[in-house]
Amino acid sequence: MSYKPNENDLMAYLYGELEGSEKEAMEKYLFEHPDARRELERLQHMRSILSEVKDKEVIAPPIFVGESKQRFLWNAPYLKTIVSIAASLLLIILAGRLSGMRIQYHSSELRISFGGDKDVKEIPVQSVQPSVASLSAEQVQSMINASLDKNNLAMQSSWKETQHQLDASITENLAQNSKKIDKLVRDASTASQDQIREFVSGMQTENLQLVKNYFKLSADEQKQYIESLLVDFSKYLQQQRNDDLQIVQTRLNSLEKNTDVFKQETEQILSSIITTVGTNNSIGTTN
Amino acid sequence: MHSDTLVMRAKEGDQSAQGKLMQLWYKRIYNFGYKFFMDHDLAMEVSQKTFISMCKNLPGLQDNARFKSWLYKIAVNYCREELRKKKGDRSLSFDVVWNRDAEESPKWEAGGQRIDNPESQLHKTELADILQQALSELNAEQREVVIMKEYEGLKFREIAEVLNISENTAKSRMYYGLDGLRKILDRKNINKDTIGYEL
Repeated sequence: MSYKPNENDLMAYLYGELEGSEKEAMEKYLFEHPDARRELERLQHMRSILSEVKDKEVIAPPIFVGESKQRFLWNAPYLKTIVSIAASLLLIILAGRLSGMRIQYHSSELRISFGGDKDVKEIPVQSVQPSVASLSAEQVQSMINASLDKNNLAMQSSWKETQHQLDASITENLAQNSKKIDKLVRDASTASQDQIREFVSGMQTENLQLVKNYFKLSADEQKQYIESLLVDFSKYLQQQRNDDLQIVQTRLNSLEKNTDVFKQETEQILSSIITTVGTNNSIGTTN
Repeated sequence: MHSDTLVMRAKEGDQSAQGKLMQLWYKRIYNFGYKFFMDHDLAMEVSQKTFISMCKNLPGLQDNARFKSWLYKIAVNYCREELRKKKGDRSLSFDVVWNRDAEESPKWEAGGQRIDNPESQLHKTELADILQQALSELNAEQREVVIMKEYEGLKFREIAEVLNISENTAKSRMYYGLDGLRKILDRKNINKDTIGYEL
């Protein structure tokens, strides 16, 4: 059987935590395997180097832990709750006592009152007395029948009365409406032909007047418009004529200037020709 | 180190017993915190919180024999809490920027006791600092196990109980922790040969 320790076994052996057969097996393995021995030596050397780091000296400072863990009965949290509830109840009772509060519960009735006792008038409660079951079934049936008959009669009479009232109101309404319609028809038929003719002729004259007024108004407006148009046109023509005259004038002026210039130039040329001709003749004669 | 009766009395609310328990264990918890953080203030913070929590929650301890692992469990929890806070807080402590120890006195004077060879003591102090630095470079899980095993002397069973892991996991973390430390120290050129005969 071959034993091969792993790194965990090596650590346990290094720190002396390997015991019994495991320790023996490890020692045997190390004896037989120089590589493993060298590895162990390296680790031991590392440990010896690490041992150079020494502990630092330190003085423990005083540490005060606030509260003692020992709890007394009066420090128990539930006791505080109970005491506070009891104090609240005591206050409520005291306030109730001072204000004379009374709370009563009697026969399904809750009464809350303040101040002294007052006579409260007893409201008589009507107790429904259960009927004595001394009636027979036939008697009950006959009583029911009688009551039904009575009800039927009463209902029939009321129905008849309502029917009568309805009939009467309908006939009355019909009579009133027919009277109104008759009156209207009669008024319409009594309107004479003359009245109609008068109405139509009145309408015609009104229409005629309206058309006349319209035409008159429109003719005046058109006349004014035409007049203003003509005036504007004549003004425009006058303006145009003035402009044209000015243009003609300026052109005439320029033409006159040009003519003068031309005239002067011609005179100069002529005089120069004359002088040249004169000099040539004089030279010829002398020669 | 402590008797069950002391724990029992402390559980019953005996403040003097609580005080004695604290006197007994304060140095251990402080040093655990110091090696974990390499910071005095954080170690003090963790220690004080641990003992306040101990006094408050001691009545809830079921088995008096497990007091040690119970106390370390509280300390580990507070260390993790402080570590989370430290990761969240990116600010740098003034003491880190201004190394007062370095300015005021040489390393070899820091130790209270007089020593025969100051040079050797200086080397040892420097080595301790380097080792402490190497420890802080380990990941937190391995660091917890290495400190508890190497410096606090807890058994693997107790470490597993404190960290709520299996015993094999505790051993595995220890192995890889030591291996990691070896690599870190190799990187810093600290090995058997460089340390020499002084060890």
